[in-house]
Amino acid sequence: MALNLLADISPWLPSHSSDVNIRRELFAALIGAILVIPQGITFAYLAGLPPEYGIYTAIFVTLFASLFGTSSMLGGPNTAVAILIGIAVAPFAGRGSPLYIEYVLLLSFMVGLIQLTIWLLRGGRFFMYLSPAAITGITTGVGFILILSSLDGIFGLSSSDTHFFYHKLYFLFDDAENLVNPFSFTVGATTVVAGMIARHYIARYAILIAITVGYLCGLLLMSYYSQVEMELELLGHLPINPLPFSHPPMGTDYLITGLAMLPDALIIALIGLAQSMVIVKQLRNDTDQPIQPDKEVFAQGIANFMAPFFSSFAGSGSFNRTQVNQSMRAETPLTGIVSAGIVLVFILLLGPVLTYLPMPAISGTLMLVGIGMIKSDEIKRLFNWRGELAVFATTLFCIVFLGLQTGLVVALILSVLLFVISASSLELIVEREAVSVKIRVEGHLFYASIDQLSQILKKHRQENVILDLSVVTYLDLSATEAITRELAKRDIESTFFAVKLSSERLQNQFETRMADQPVQFIQYNHTY
Amino acid sequence: MVDWLIRLFFNNCPDSLKKPFKRRFGLLLLLLPLFIAGPVQSEQLPIESLLQRSYLDDYYSNVVYGYRIVTETEKYGARYTGNNLRCSNCHLNAGRKENGLPLNVAGMYPKWRSKNGRRNGIGLRIRECFVYSLNGIMPPEDAPEVMAVAAYISYLSHGETIGKAPAGRGVPTLPDTGYDPNPASGKAIYDQTCAACHGSNGQGIAHMPPLWGMNAYNEGAGMASVHRAAGFIWANMPLGQERTLSHQQALDVSAYINMQIRPGDPREYKLLKLFETVSWFFDR
Repeated sequence: MALNLLADISPWLPSHSSDVNIRRELFAALIGAILVIPQGITFAYLAGLPPEYGIYTAIFVTLFASLFGTSSMLGGPNTAVAILIGIAVAPFAGRGSPLYIEYVLLLSFMVGLIQLTIWLLRGGRFFMYLSPAAITGITTGVGFILILSSLDGIFGLSSSDTHFFYHKLYFLFDDAENLVNPFSFTVGATTVVAGMIARHYIARYAILIAITVGYLCGLLLMSYYSQVEMELELLGHLPINPLPFSHPPMGTDYLITGLAMLPDALIIALIGLAQSMVIVKQLRNDTDQPIQPDKEVFAQGIANFMAPFFSSFAGSGSFNRTQVNQSMRAETPLTGIVSAGIVLVFILLLGPVLTYLPMPAISGTLMLVGIGMIKSDEIKRLFNWRGELAVFATTLFCIVFLGLQTGLVVALILSVLLFVISASSLELIVEREAVSVKIRVEGHLFYASIDQLSQILKKHRQENVILDLSVVTYLDLSATEAITRELAKRDIESTFFAVKLSSERLQNQFETRMADQPVQFIQYNHTY
Repeated sequence: MVDWLIRLFFNNCPDSLKKPFKRRFGLLLLLLPLFIAGPVQSEQLPIESLLQRSYLDDYYSNVVYGYRIVTETEKYGARYTGNNLRCSNCHLNAGRKENGLPLNVAGMYPKWRSKNGRRNGIGLRIRECFVYSLNGIMPPEDAPEVMAVAAYISYLSHGETIGKAPAGRGVPTLPDTGYDPNPASGKAIYDQTCAACHGSNGQGIAHMPPLWGMNAYNEGAGMASVHRAAGFIWANMPLGQERTLSHQQALDVSAYINMQIRPGDPREYKLLKLFETVSWFFDR
């Protein structure tokens, strides 16, 4: 009953409500809520914000993304988006300062606007061009960045000491006895080890087990040493407000910074959407949920657009939580909506206990997430094909050495390039028949690929030619022009030139363009 | 003056000299007033005008954030505080009152302190305030709250000399009265002059800080030292009628306040705060 009512007011399809197991959905929501709390805190730390902002993101971005979405995909705080926000805003204000928070809200607002624009332009389908190799490269690179940034917390370095990664490693080894905080390291290492062991037995709850073990380890240390002598960083009180209204800052002063952040906003919007679309693609393949990708783009856009009004930063679909959700066989956006509410209740109840959660434990889970993102079997599979491997390696190299933004742009360009190169190479089969040469063309005939065909035609200028275009589905103006040019040079009296096309539409197109050319057509449905 | 010199020079020299001179030294002459005027004295904007601005750069936004943490600690510094005190309860007038623990001390740090036997930067000093006076947890050295308060302190310290104690630093040291502090007479004075604002049980009332009990500063705080608290009380209390108590009365009140129950020193009572929190969690 309640579900039907919800189905009517929410934009997702009422057809969901036919055979939905509501208890299954609610249980999946509970698990999703438990998993998102450490993630929200960690990703707020990555974005350089106070932890409560991560919790708000886990509540409100999840809520709006599910409210307007069509799938069981869980939105909310996302690793790559959080890292990118941190990188984008850091040059303009000190991490966590009030100005920084205003800029993050402004950035999230811009991300939402850009995503809504992409939705208006029906741009969702372009994300299907991001090649799997590039995605593997991005996730591996992000995993690498996560592991490196988790070192700060685990070894107790202050974030002002962070350098380019091999600087950091060099300083760490060179000056270990002065830099490394042994207590932080104990808690962090315990968390990581516990997580690695838990992953072998119950992979689904590994993060949860790891953070609990890290918390207990911190308590144990705190009962022997005081926090003052340990200098162990703790999470602190979370001033949670159930309705944290805020608004993105407006004004000419902010416009300047806003414009400076525009390229970053564009990249964050694209990367957020790309991740969500990859998840949606997987869900569409694996389940029979009535998913509409365009609506998902809208849901992501509206969630990020609304985020700054609820003290949240931009988010995106979450791979790991959606996977857990899928393994619980949740099928509707109801999971996300309920999970947002459960997070709020949990955090109001658990707040005092979370106060003493050591930050190295959170960094430890960050490292576990990072390790989980580097999937060796996927990388091994890439070694079979050189092109994909090159895309993967270049993307990874750019992310690690030139920064995440550069890496992402390179990945996008490379995947489009790979696609264009493979699309523009023609398969030409030349068969010599009784009186003529039959040239069979496979692929797309357009300006980039026409040159190959022209060369072949030039070679057979003195012979009868049958151009078999029966499997060509795309022909552009430059292709017909090239064929016209070739026809003008042919000896018309002694040879003939025939074209075979795949459809009536193409044939009409061809005939109008070659109105008074000596071309014979073999009917598209003619077989011989 | 400069203008007059230039005109004098130009009116009294031949035309053939004027042109190359103009070309070579014209710009220098134009800039001359700048050199004569000397370095520009930059004026800091008062905090009240900063508060009304809609846009602030990184430094001033941190100064304003620091000011807000100092004056509304329970709201802006909530992440690391553990009691109901505000910084401005001791650092009177948001750290701008002489002899009321003023905060214009950025030039005095880093320095060695016997409290922890280390060289203390201003950051560590601020973090210790969170642990002892605010009875909270120690923020990391790069916490935004610490950075903001540090920015506010350096804003207040503008114009002070590095290494030289600013006027009215800390609290005055009371002279030896020749008598021990007497908590019994301190209680009489407290009930008569202090209880109206701080409550008869030291629990504080709205906008007035508690002096003892679990919501007050802990035993590791500077105020937990009888002589320092006495100096503070003599120079600043009762609010608006400062220096009306005698030195001996201030010492007596201070001894009375500091013999009451309050949270333990976190260096000695390790898990106490956690147990407090958890018991609160179950009491609800």
